[in-house]
Amino acid sequence: MSFFKHRNNLIHAGIALTLSVINIYIIFTLDPPNLAQGVFGNIFFIHVPIAWSAFLLYFGVMVCGIFYLTNKSIKWDYRGLAFAEVGTIFMFLVLTTGPIWAKPAWGHFWPWEPRLTTSLILFLIFLGYFMLREFGGNPEQVSRYAAVLGILAFLDVPLIFFSVKFWLPEMQSHPQVGQYFSSANPMSTYLIIFSFISMIIISSLMVRFRTNILSMNHTS
Amino acid sequence: MIFHLVLKDLKIEWRSKEIITSMFIFGLSITLIFALAFQVAPNLIRTFAPGLLWVVILFTSVLGLNRLFSLEKEDQALWSWVAAPVNRGTVYIAKVISAFIFIIMSELLFIIPFFIFLNLPSNFSFISFALILFLGTGAIVSVGCLISGITLQARLRDVLIPILLFPSASPVAIAATKCTGLLFNQIPLVNYLFWLLILGSFFVIFGLFGYLVFNQIVEE
Repeated sequence: MSFFKHRNNLIHAGIALTLSVINIYIIFTLDPPNLAQGVFGNIFFIHVPIAWSAFLLYFGVMVCGIFYLTNKSIKWDYRGLAFAEVGTIFMFLVLTTGPIWAKPAWGHFWPWEPRLTTSLILFLIFLGYFMLREFGGNPEQVSRYAAVLGILAFLDVPLIFFSVKFWLPEMQSHPQVGQYFSSANPMSTYLIIFSFISMIIISSLMVRFRTNILSMNHTS
Repeated sequence: MIFHLVLKDLKIEWRSKEIITSMFIFGLSITLIFALAFQVAPNLIRTFAPGLLWVVILFTSVLGLNRLFSLEKEDQALWSWVAAPVNRGTVYIAKVISAFIFIIMSELLFIIPFFIFLNLPSNFSFISFALILFLGTGAIVSVGCLISGITLQARLRDVLIPILLFPSASPVAIAATKCTGLLFNQIPLVNYLFWLLILGSFFVIFGLFGYLVFNQIVEE
């Protein structure tokens, strides 16, 4: 793996691994903040940071798309694709951990909650994105089309969010979110921020690794 | 310029009548299936009617959007766009207007049988209904023409258009269904201005985006 031969990449991977091990250890050993939800309450510390990272990664697809369309450098296309792939993995995790948490919190697996629904719709658009990448035409055209679709998907986010939010007004937000961010017990807030930082570091490593492979395939 | 491009599409359609006829017959067939499938609970169909109407409109729009660029593609006329000294955003606007006219025409044709077959009451404001239809169709067309454009060279074009259109247009489906439902219950227009605003903003955002990026879509 030539990617890990560079010292900086190795350090990046080391930090990512250490932080995730610490993060997972804390989440598994932490006393659940909500006794009614039992140990499932702790999934919040992994679900929410993953969701934030997934949206950030899709935002990255949009930024790469804008750069690709303005300067046509193939690097931005690879970065965009890498962001989309890692973002979709993260989004899949959001859609898996969401229902696991929703069952003890709401009583059923799928609530039509605005954030979860927006995630699902974005995930579906990005499945179409990969189909477009695969079957869209010649490589140069596909890169342009994919950049346009990446921007289109992110422009859709606020519209999807607001329409779902007011579609079912009783589903205003996550249940009992307040207890995780209470000022009396700031520990939860710190934990979420720590978890988010470790997710950012892992996802950035994944994006860099994937970009590296894509550009190597191109040059070889 | 826009006028000439729209006139060209309308002339071709006037001679062949393929887009509007196929959309109308397809819409009629789905309406028939809905009417038969919901025979078990004829009273409930009034509650579902707004949603069903927009499902029919979305499905028929896919048919129209699929054919929208087909003539240019089949006769290699795309090259004339590339060579022509016009802003390609203009081509996009012209296509949006043509698609809007085709879809509205087919809607006008199948909406009467839709109301008759499903035994729906017609004691609501027709002006408000026309406004919702116009805004909803405009929103679908603005994102639909863009998707039709980016799938132009795709091998699986027939499949990709609905796969990309349905999740992207989900805010339109929610907002338009909500408006139509409130209208069918004789609730005055002022009470659902929010939903009309969602439809309007969807149309403006994707219309502008399409105008700006169409240059990138139609390129050598």
